[in-house]
Amino acid sequence: MLQIALRRLFWLILLPLLQVVVFNHVHLWGYATPMPYVYALLILPASTPRWLYVTLGFTLGLFADMGSNTPGIAAAAGTASGLSIPFLLHLFAPKEFDDDTTLLPNVRTLEWTGFLNYAASAVLIHVSLFHIIEDFAFYFPLQLLINIVGSTVFTLVFIALFEVLRNER
Amino acid sequence: MRTILEFLRRYNYLFLFLVLEAVSFTLLFRFNSYQGNVWLTAAGRVTARLNALYGEGESYLNLRYVNSDLVRRNILLQQQNEKLREALAKKGGASHFTDSLTQQAAADLSMTAANVVSSITQRRNNYIVVNRGTADGIRPEQGVVGGQGVVGIVYLCEEHNSLVIPLTNRRSNLSCRVRGGNYFGSLTWDGKDLRYATLDDIPRYAKVKKDDIVETSGFSAVFPPGLFVGRVTEVRNSSDGQSYTLIVHLGADFSTLRDVNIISTSYKAETDSLRQRAAQLEPDL
Repeated sequence: MLQIALRRLFWLILLPLLQVVVFNHVHLWGYATPMPYVYALLILPASTPRWLYVTLGFTLGLFADMGSNTPGIAAAAGTASGLSIPFLLHLFAPKEFDDDTTLLPNVRTLEWTGFLNYAASAVLIHVSLFHIIEDFAFYFPLQLLINIVGSTVFTLVFIALFEVLRNER
Repeated sequence: MRTILEFLRRYNYLFLFLVLEAVSFTLLFRFNSYQGNVWLTAAGRVTARLNALYGEGESYLNLRYVNSDLVRRNILLQQQNEKLREALAKKGGASHFTDSLTQQAAADLSMTAANVVSSITQRRNNYIVVNRGTADGIRPEQGVVGGQGVVGIVYLCEEHNSLVIPLTNRRSNLSCRVRGGNYFGSLTWDGKDLRYATLDDIPRYAKVKKDDIVETSGFSAVFPPGLFVGRVTEVRNSSDGQSYTLIVHLGADFSTLRDVNIISTSYKAETDSLRQRAAQLEPDL
């Protein structure tokens, strides 16, 4: 249990740092910015209390904001992600885990389809909120849509990569 | 109470979520100039709209007081109006501008007030009977004026009544002029319309236009010069083409005529005596 907690803490520290140092400066074709720090929330055990999800989402977002000088944007999106991720986990987890609080979300338990659906939904919520709050208007709906789709796909690629690396160890 | 506490404990993450979102958006509007400006603009617009609605509502609620104030003012004005009406009535009968002008023109004349007793229409000729006669010093060929202009000339006198030939009689012939221009002519009536008479023999060089005033010339010795007769409504060529014929809208309304004054001018006697003397000097005159 302690081991799991420490591992999650590792990711909770590593991902925001990576976000601030690397990912915030990536703007693929001027549109897609990866935000893989959501991954730290995705792999939390199903037994994690929901207030902790919300708090961690806020904290991660705030950390990412500090790196990109956009205080509040990622924090607001992260808080909403923290609220929604437990629901999504319940939605995409196989039926046999319905009442099992010991579930650890990963490709072994959810399988690739389930895990990617779970991750894609959470990332889509986070990225959409992030870009909508950043634009704060719908003057350029097409550009907004390209930003959201591009960032979501880009983030998912990194999350899949992390998931492969985590399971190889 | 317990259920409320239970509810709060169970959904604590929802409240936490709301608090953290509030913190996030506070940071957003505080430290991001773009979002902050958009927010301020939108909020300002909403505030302005709300203020406008509030103002409208307030003015609507104030209507009751506005209304009572208006009623009060209305009563005040009504009272004032009554007062002024009374003052005007006390001032005397000069309720008509023409009336006052006529009175002014006839100020140095002695006038006898009379009432129209009846009006007679015979063979399309009109006559008027007034309730003053020889007993009141009325003589034939004295002028009769009404509040709105010249009415006619006394023709026959009884002791208490007199017969007047009004302007609307085809035997009537009154020397008139156009005010300001000193163009003279004789006013006659064609027997058609009680409101109009014709003024003939106006020279072609005369500059006459619509609404010019026609007044007595003073040549007839019955009327002093300058008494209002009517206004020009139309300028026509005379039948022989040598002069103008003016259609005159008569000032006196013969269909409703009631109060008149009979002018007893001393000129008449003077002129008559002068004529007699002249006749003595020149038997042909």
